[in-house]
Amino acid sequence: MTLSHYVALGSILFIIGVFGALTRRSVIGILMSVELMFNAANINLAAFNRYLHPTGVTGQAFALFIMTVAAAEVVVGLALVLAIYRRRDKIYMEDINLMRG
Amino acid sequence: MVVLGSAVLALLLTLDDSSIPEPASGSFSCLILLSTVGMMFLVSATDLLLVFVSLELVSISSFILAGYERANPKSNEGSLKYFIFGAFSSAVMAYGISLFYGATGGTTLIAVRALGPLALTGLLFILVGFGFKAALAPMHFWVPDAYEGAPTPVTAFLSVAPKIAALGALARLLAALIPAASVDLGNLLSILCCLTMTVGNFVALFQRNVKRLLAYSSIAQAGYIVIGVVTGDAMGIQGILIYSFVYVAMNIGAFAVAIALANDRRGASPSAHARLDGARHGGPSGLDAADPYDLDSFDGLASRSLPAALAMTFFLLSLAGIPPLAGFFGKFYLIGSAVGTAHYGLAVAAVVNSVVSVYYYMSISYRMFFVSPRKGARAPRIGICLYATAALALAVTLFFGILPHRLAAWAQLSAKFLP
Repeated sequence: MTLSHYVALGSILFIIGVFGALTRRSVIGILMSVELMFNAANINLAAFNRYLHPTGVTGQAFALFIMTVAAAEVVVGLALVLAIYRRRDKIYMEDINLMRG
Repeated sequence: MVVLGSAVLALLLTLDDSSIPEPASGSFSCLILLSTVGMMFLVSATDLLLVFVSLELVSISSFILAGYERANPKSNEGSLKYFIFGAFSSAVMAYGISLFYGATGGTTLIAVRALGPLALTGLLFILVGFGFKAALAPMHFWVPDAYEGAPTPVTAFLSVAPKIAALGALARLLAALIPAASVDLGNLLSILCCLTMTVGNFVALFQRNVKRLLAYSSIAQAGYIVIGVVTGDAMGIQGILIYSFVYVAMNIGAFAVAIALANDRRGASPSAHARLDGARHGGPSGLDAADPYDLDSFDGLASRSLPAALAMTFFLLSLAGIPPLAGFFGKFYLIGSAVGTAHYGLAVAAVVNSVVSVYYYMSISYRMFFVSPRKGARAPRIGICLYATAALALAVTLFFGILPHRLAAWAQLSAKFLP
């Protein structure tokens, strides 16, 4: 396992995440794709820290921060999804279209 | 920057807090304060870690604020769109930061000497995050929906505070990084800037809802401020400071008048009120009810309430940048710095866009002064807090328009503290 393996894994995850976020219909699916993108960043940070800059822990600390922030973000997102689901029984993006223009 | 940023935000906060129309609970003000804390950290951050965390603090609290009217489906929807765009762009930004870290071995912005291609890619991803927060043109799709759906005081808050904070942080980031970059980022930014101004202004021409109109106009205003970020000379930075200060006053003022009218219209027509209640209690109606923010609520405002109409006209003229008002002065600095650093294209684009914006700003004034009021319309009763907010904003707009020297001196003083 070298650095390039990890970075390749990170970029593949990131691309899957971007693709999913742009094409998913369900809001939950989009949320999961966004999580993939965050995790790609985490893998990158940890790998760079281990292989390129092993003296400090900035990368790992940053990864921890990203995890925390992503968790907080998902909490808000799921709350919004719940609020919408209670009213309309649907969570597909194309149904959420009260406002146009 | 820190000094001025906090002053601007504190001012904003008092303005905003005083204009909440509904019986708001403690969590509302708490969220606004949290988001303000995030902005203060954001403008003073020199480390990407702090930038990221404070940007998220701002974002997450504004998602909640935008969806604060839980029973209003528009509020939910606007907030959800805001959230999805926000989460996506902060994930992109996190990935960008990871690349930047890999290339430079650190996350501080100050010590960077040279940027390789990897760090440059990272920087572009980071720009996406900022562009989202400041609603620059390709990343602006969430703006009108989030602004229309959010409770109006929140809209007023969102349209100024996070935007200015993100632009301030962007200015700081780029001041540190543009000299080190191997590719000219200035060109990219000036394209973004032109695009932002043009899209904002031209789409605003076709809006019927005053909140959407102000949303697009605020996109355009952010475009003007980016001019200062692009040029980056002393005059440009002073321009950013002056314009953002003035922009807070005039935009909040315009929203205050809009809130006053909408409150009044809701109270005036019992049927609309009943529908609103229906929406609140989960009834199926309530969509497409007479929109209290439709532009026709401005019809004949001058004959009903001359002070409100005059104040609104002053705010709009100032947003358009007509000379005796403060908006002109800020724009003068920004465009002056564009000409001074030979960004002639930018200057021309800004001037043309200002002319376009006059049209839709003045069409509101036209409605206020020359269209006869609807039947049964009466003088709006304006609550004391809204009145005070509008008066304060008007005072700032007029005072610094006529006597700009003091503001210029402050801006010069705080520009010295910039890196």
